Amino acid sequence: MSKDKKNIRDEVHTPNSIDKLIHEPARLNIMTCLYVVESADFLFMMRQTGLTFGNLSAHMSKLEETGYIEIIKEFVGKKPHTMLKLTEKGRRAFDEYRKQMKQFFNEL
Amino acid sequence: MTEKIDLKKVEKQTYRFTFTDGLYDLTYGSLLIFIAIAPILREILYPSYIIFLILPAPLILILGKRFITIPRIGIVKFNQNRTKSRNKIGFLIAILFPITVMMVVLTYLGLYNIKVGGYIVPVGAGVFALVLLSVIAYILDYPHFYLYAVSIGLGLPLAALLKPIFGEPLHYLISFGISGTLILIYGIITLIKFIKKYPVSKAEISNVKG
Repeated sequence: MSKDKKNIRDEVHTPNSIDKLIHEPARLNIMTCLYVVESADFLFMMRQTGLTFGNLSAHMSKLEETGYIEIIKEFVGKKPHTMLKLTEKGRRAFDEYRKQMKQFFNEL
Repeated sequence: MTEKIDLKKVEKQTYRFTFTDGLYDLTYGSLLIFIAIAPILREILYPSYIIFLILPAPLILILGKRFITIPRIGIVKFNQNRTKSRNKIGFLIAILFPITVMMVVLTYLGLYNIKVGGYIVPVGAGVFALVLLSVIAYILDYPHFYLYAVSIGLGLPLAALLKPIFGEPLHYLISFGISGTLILIYGIITLIKFIKKYPVSKAEISNVKG
């Protein structure tokens, strides 16, 4: 393979380079919702995404394991409350995902 | 996945979602109704009728958010720009609310007409309320507030205009009662729809991620 061809191939984004963790529709929805706010609780995320409690919980766990979201325990009045927030890593990953998707479709 | 993600649009939709409970309409509608019946309340409850002008509206909003909205749609914290905007509104409301109530009372008592004469002060007060509420509508990014601005902005001079024709307390009932009732009914309908659409979720009860 010539050097020029190799360079061209490196520049073209393939679907393989897309972050599959974010690319899944439900998680993309979650990431988008959390990206535009400071933080939100579980119920708000359920309403915004239309996901069930179990479904949302499963996706949240995956995103938390990757370090894309953080779970903050706080008190509202005297009640314990769980707030969800996108981490800096999560924000960067989402920005990168958007950039890659945009570039990918521009190149089509 | 070909759809473009417009983040500003998503943020705006998320923000507007928090207004779908109709509580602002309910609050403002009830405030206008209390202003409309202020002359009647004054006859019965002088001087404590002022409490009815000041207390119910904020109480409806605070308690409604606490016991109706949050158990149904949860809590969201917006980014710093939105927070700053809300702080500015809080400051404006803190200035506007007592001034508006004072103006309404003074207009009702006819003190403006004695001191300045004619319709200058009711019109000035109307313009003042109109501008301030419009500023709040702009900062809050909630178009209903423009309607509120018009209702009180027109209501004040209209009350002064109708006083010689209809007399008391009809002039206030017409000027503020009609718009207040319409806004209140709209708020009640919106709230009922909201409650039906978003019943109290089990997730609210077990909000700690399990």
